[in-house]
Amino acid sequence: MYYDVTRMRLAWQNITGLIERLARGFACVSGLVLLALVVLTIISVTGRQVSTFGLGPIPGDFELVEHGGAFIVFWGLPWCQLRYGHVVVDIVARHLSYLLNWIVAIVCHLAMFMMAILVARQLGLGLLDKMNWGETSFILQLPIWWGYAAALPGAWLWVVTTATTGCDIAARMKHRTPLP
Amino acid sequence: MTSLELGLYSLPVMLGLILLRIPVMLSMFVVGCMGLYWVQGSLVPLFAQMKTVSYSTFSNYSLSVIPMFLLMGQFASRGGLSKALFNAANTFLRHRRGGLAMASIVACGGFGAICGSSLATVATMGQVTLPQLKKHGYSGRLSTAVLAAGGTLGILIPPSVVLIIYAILTEQNIAKLFVAALIPGFLAVFGYMVTVSVIVRVTNEQEKMNQRASWRERTQAIQDIWPVVTIFILVLGGIYQGWFTPTEGAAVGAGATGLVAYASGGLDRTGFEDAILETIATTVMIFMILFGAAVYNSFLALSRLPFEAAVFVNGLELSPWLVLTLILTCYLILGCFMDSLSMIILTIPVFFPVFQTLDFGMNSEHAALWFGILVLIVVEVGLITPPVGLNLFIINRLAKDVSLSESYKGVVPFVMSDLVRIVILVAFPALTLFLVDWLY
Repeated sequence: MYYDVTRMRLAWQNITGLIERLARGFACVSGLVLLALVVLTIISVTGRQVSTFGLGPIPGDFELVEHGGAFIVFWGLPWCQLRYGHVVVDIVARHLSYLLNWIVAIVCHLAMFMMAILVARQLGLGLLDKMNWGETSFILQLPIWWGYAAALPGAWLWVVTTATTGCDIAARMKHRTPLP
Repeated sequence: MTSLELGLYSLPVMLGLILLRIPVMLSMFVVGCMGLYWVQGSLVPLFAQMKTVSYSTFSNYSLSVIPMFLLMGQFASRGGLSKALFNAANTFLRHRRGGLAMASIVACGGFGAICGSSLATVATMGQVTLPQLKKHGYSGRLSTAVLAAGGTLGILIPPSVVLIIYAILTEQNIAKLFVAALIPGFLAVFGYMVTVSVIVRVTNEQEKMNQRASWRERTQAIQDIWPVVTIFILVLGGIYQGWFTPTEGAAVGAGATGLVAYASGGLDRTGFEDAILETIATTVMIFMILFGAAVYNSFLALSRLPFEAAVFVNGLELSPWLVLTLILTCYLILGCFMDSLSMIILTIPVFFPVFQTLDFGMNSEHAALWFGILVLIVVEVGLITPPVGLNLFIINRLAKDVSLSESYKGVVPFVMSDLVRIVILVAFPALTLFLVDWLY
């Protein structure tokens, strides 16, 4: 019996470790995309300034920045979630009991989990809509659903991380570990 | 219950949730969703809206300026520029009473010129100046307060993330807002320096003064800060000249500060990774609040609350100055327990329409610019007012030997100086606006 519990705990640690590495990796990809956008914009601006020499801005640069922006946020979300990076106001909560704060945190993570599912699921449905309508961007004529498809893994990993942070909160009750 | 009543009641409900320590973005999202469900009587429109609202909020071109300016700030923190700025300011001020404290203020202002966030300014400048202030015998109370106050210059002096958000929410020109913020920013630096020099005399600080620096030393120190000056002029000048949009300007700035940081050796592998991850985490945090706000605001718009509130206030026929004072006071109170970004995002959709109905004898664009700067300053005061002053918390983490209550006491004179500045700027709108008129 004891053996089983240990093994389960180990498995759980492996899973959460994997999720954490994955989220961090996603955030790194997101950061690299941001860097790429910075470089792309600089090249484009320079091109526009020296357009007399036959060079020009990168066509559709601002479209790429727009869709890149959505990608950055969705792929950074899981990492932000694992760091408990959302803004909270704790002026009142500081004076409440541990139990009450814990209950609020649990309810809050349940709500966040539902919110994440709603966002991720509807994003997928939005993707299908965009695909069916064949909507494309103005200048590059790229299908909009590509952007949705690229963002989707980030949204679903966010769903997973809201679940693990919720479990983390729940587990803190046992030893009254301070809440994040 | 009419939808207007729903809109009205949603405000205290949401504030209650936020005070229970539910993330701001989640509170706005949940209340917004429930409100939309009640007003529309069905979940179908809400679900349909959800298909695109997240993606379209995040893929807004004007918002992409935010991660780029954040990245620029992160690079700036790692580029060793804070030290150079402090040294340069020091050579001009160190022989005066409270000179080092004044130099910290000026250096914070200089850093604010390439960094759009107060927290980053406090954290970066604090690491450089706190040990120096301590070494020169400044009390913990004064040195922590100086840095907390100086840090607010990060958002006051353009580029400023708060101003960008304001510009997007109210559809104003970002470049003009940046220009409008310049003189109030200088006033703030000046006001804080005066405050320091009064404090050291009144409380009789036992600080050590240094020898006056020679002009040779000064010119040398100035040469070390050329990257800051160049980047500031390049970014703001370029945006102003129309060479590039604010987003492009931010990209250029991020690229340039990145090069400076790399050249100074501050961007090794770990430094680089930290800068990137930090930027992403902050970006997501801001965008999630904007997403929550997008949902909540679409409910507010359906409930017609902002419109009716504007009509109501107009019907009261109060003096516009009184209404403005009330709004600003409201921000000062909210600022005691909320952070600046959520506060702006939460309140501007309601307060701005109300403000627009007021007649101050200026055109609507001028009024919007002026209001933006006033809001920026009251929000900035919130960063140093107890009990929740984020700048104070950060300083408290850096200076572990100074208790938070000491910093609370120390910061009071600086808050006073802020209040004086607000009164001056309210009384003389021209201070904010003449540079805009002159340049445009």
